[in-house]
Amino acid sequence: MSSRKQPKGKIRPPKKPNSADAQFNDNWDRLAQAIREIHKKNASILSFEELYRNAYNMVLHKNGDKLYNGVREVITQHLEEVAVSQVVPAFPLSGASSSQTNPNGAGGANFLKVLKTVWEDHTTCMLMIRDILMYMDRVYAKTANVPLVYDLGLDLFRDTIVRSQNYPIQNHLLEVLLQQIKLERENEIIDRTNVKASIDMLLELTDASTKDTVYATDFENKFLETSSEYYRVEGQMLVGEYDAPEYMKKVDKRLNEEEQRVRHYLSQTTEPKIRNIVEEELISKHLKTVIEMENSGLIPMLRNEKMDDLGRMYKLFGRVVKGHDEMKSAISDYIRELGKAINETVTSNTTAEGGNAASGDKQTGATVAVRWVQEVLDLKDKFDKVQNLALSNDKAFQTSFNEAFEYFINKNSKSPEFISLFIDDNLKKGLKGKTEEEVDSVLDKTITLFRFIGEKDVFERYYKQHLAKRLLLGRSVSDDAERGMIGKLKVECGYQFTTKLEGMFNDMRISSDTMTDFKEYLDKSVLEKPKLDLSVTVLTSTFWPMNLSASPRCNLPPELTKACGTFQNFYLGRHSGRRLTWQSNMGTADIRGSFKARKHELNVSTYQMVILLMFNDKQDGESLSYEQIKGESDIPEADLKRNLQSLACAKYKILVKEPKGKEINPGDQFNFNNDFTAPLQRIKIQTVASKVESEGERKETREKVEEARKHQTEAAIVRIMKDRKTMEHNLLIAEVVKQLQSRFMPNPALIKKRIEALIEREYLERATGDRRVYNYLA
Amino acid sequence: HSGLSRDLLLMLYNADDRNVIIRVGKNHNVKEFRAHSNILRFRSAYFKSALSSKWIGKKNENGTIKFEKPNINPNIFEIILKYIYTGEVDLTVNSGEVNLELLISSDELLLEELFNYVQDYLI
Repeated sequence: MSSRKQPKGKIRPPKKPNSADAQFNDNWDRLAQAIREIHKKNASILSFEELYRNAYNMVLHKNGDKLYNGVREVITQHLEEVAVSQVVPAFPLSGASSSQTNPNGAGGANFLKVLKTVWEDHTTCMLMIRDILMYMDRVYAKTANVPLVYDLGLDLFRDTIVRSQNYPIQNHLLEVLLQQIKLERENEIIDRTNVKASIDMLLELTDASTKDTVYATDFENKFLETSSEYYRVEGQMLVGEYDAPEYMKKVDKRLNEEEQRVRHYLSQTTEPKIRNIVEEELISKHLKTVIEMENSGLIPMLRNEKMDDLGRMYKLFGRVVKGHDEMKSAISDYIRELGKAINETVTSNTTAEGGNAASGDKQTGATVAVRWVQEVLDLKDKFDKVQNLALSNDKAFQTSFNEAFEYFINKNSKSPEFISLFIDDNLKKGLKGKTEEEVDSVLDKTITLFRFIGEKDVFERYYKQHLAKRLLLGRSVSDDAERGMIGKLKVECGYQFTTKLEGMFNDMRISSDTMTDFKEYLDKSVLEKPKLDLSVTVLTSTFWPMNLSASPRCNLPPELTKACGTFQNFYLGRHSGRRLTWQSNMGTADIRGSFKARKHELNVSTYQMVILLMFNDKQDGESLSYEQIKGESDIPEADLKRNLQSLACAKYKILVKEPKGKEINPGDQFNFNNDFTAPLQRIKIQTVASKVESEGERKETREKVEEARKHQTEAAIVRIMKDRKTMEHNLLIAEVVKQLQSRFMPNPALIKKRIEALIEREYLERATGDRRVYNYLA
Repeated sequence: HSGLSRDLLLMLYNADDRNVIIRVGKNHNVKEFRAHSNILRFRSAYFKSALSSKWIGKKNENGTIKFEKPNINPNIFEIILKYIYTGEVDLTVNSGEVNLELLISSDELLLEELFNYVQDYLI
């Protein structure tokens, strides 16, 4: 089209250079006037159709940019005027700081009210302007890539009013908003509608460079900064003035208030930020202080079982990263401390007992054990309750509590023995009149303590001893109760743990059958019947805790020796190849004693019977020395002393000792106490009651346990190697530990020694290439 | 015509609840159309604004809205009105001049679909 020809015709439309301009001016004047009328709220005199058509014509005739700029100018002018005539006069007297003249922020509230009106007027007008400039928006703004006229209005409002270069409107607005919030934090009633209007306005305006809201760029940071400062000061004040429960209530209230504030008049995006600030300033920074508050902190709450306060602390502190950790470690330390105190009462008690040792105070020993377990159970109950009522059964807390219990329970080296004694106490016949259900529930709790024991094999050894005594002395409350307990242990530790215990029960049952058969045998037999009723319990040596090799010696009276022989013949005749060893230290006897006053039936141990029978041959007043008794009976010294103590120094003095005293010493003289009286016809002489072991016995038990561990460790090694054939040292150690840890925690040195012993005995060999690898030798 | 558009045309010409009177054209070429304000408002952004409460104000007599559109020929406006009601228009029966005017008026009233349709037809 570059070589455009002149039109052919001579007649051309007259050139009217000014007509388009005139048309433009006319159109624009009408529009500008109309916009001013809209601003004056006089829109009712205007014709939409005409104004629309004017704008349409201007855009159609390529005057879109002029129209757009003209509109911008008219609106700007109007807003400048609004700033001067409405906003500036409404400035509060001297900013937010003048609380003297302006105590309730009334000036600020009024300022916000004016701004609200100005903003509402502006948006209403812009909606009308947008209507008549719809064609400009659709056709011009799109192609010229400029904001739609409504958005133009928002930008102009932002720059002319909110961020005015001419008047400090922005400063006043921010100060007033922050002041209103501060007033509300201090429990003043403010007009939230006005605050909300300004906040909504800031949210609708966009910052040109960040494309974020003006709320975010101008307001939010300042709000968060002042809030930080406010709560930093408040935190320090509250910590100084209130106790822990009150402090937490205040913090709860603050958190709630800030959440409500956001919901009522701030942006939801601010919610997590302000929450973090309150949590940081009021919780994180004062965690330890509140936990450690002298008379009201975490420990006093636990001590006084303040479940509501504890629950509040759990919820509140759970909001911050370290909160629960701090609580957990404080509570765990407290449990350890309480546990330590429980352990200490036991040690002080047992040492005191050691002081007047051999005072026959076996009951006290058992009582100490029972009390220790009971106190630990009470402590466990207490923290179970806390866990349940205040800590939402939080698993992490449970784990940490368990560790604390485990720690102090294993600090008491006697805990396996004590727990076994406690069970013994509950399974003994006729104690404390507890119902079966009560006993069962106590035992269930005891099992939870059993779980904490590291050395379960030690427990097992004591349990066997105590069970043996219950069974042999007929003290067991019932077979069902015993089997129930074994069932519980089986659930915890598996069947290997309990097979021997079950074997003990079997022996008891079989023995009872055997005795029936023995009586029948005697009835039918032509042999001379024994002069006494003999009752024998045959025990399988591997199931029971007695030590065969150190089988106690004792010179039994001839009648008894004879009766034993009869039984031995009967038994071995039925079971050839078995060997019977008499455990005279475990037996009891019923004997009749004639005293001056009356006859008494005495229930005594076999040893006591042996001792008492010696006095049958003696005249009244004739005494026997300790050495004589020892020599004649051949009873081991420790047992002899204990039995003499029971006869001469305890409640029932069947013998009289010279010189008097609680201790049995070489050289002591003993007389039969003919003057003995007692209200009951039948008398039980206590000896073999369960008790805490003496140091010597403990050492012995310990050695037995160590010996058993050697065997178990070797058995585990062989079992593993048989399966794997070849294995590296560290892997083998790890596997052995894994297999044994349910019974005890083997140390690697022990395992290593056992491996070497097995190499020596040619169960294993070191691999030729690598000395760290073992081979199994079939 | 489908049944729906036929019924909508009946509504445009015969319904007794038409509440807008549009006076179209100027000088001697003037015609009044009656229509339903809600249909106009929902079908056209132009009428949505024009008939909104902000602008009709007191021009509302006994519930009837009077609206003037002087710069469009009544015959062109009738085509537009029928299009607004039925969504249909038949350009083949019109002269080129009528279609051209239809193009211009649909642009002014921001009836984008109609504008594009006519434009495609003309090119």
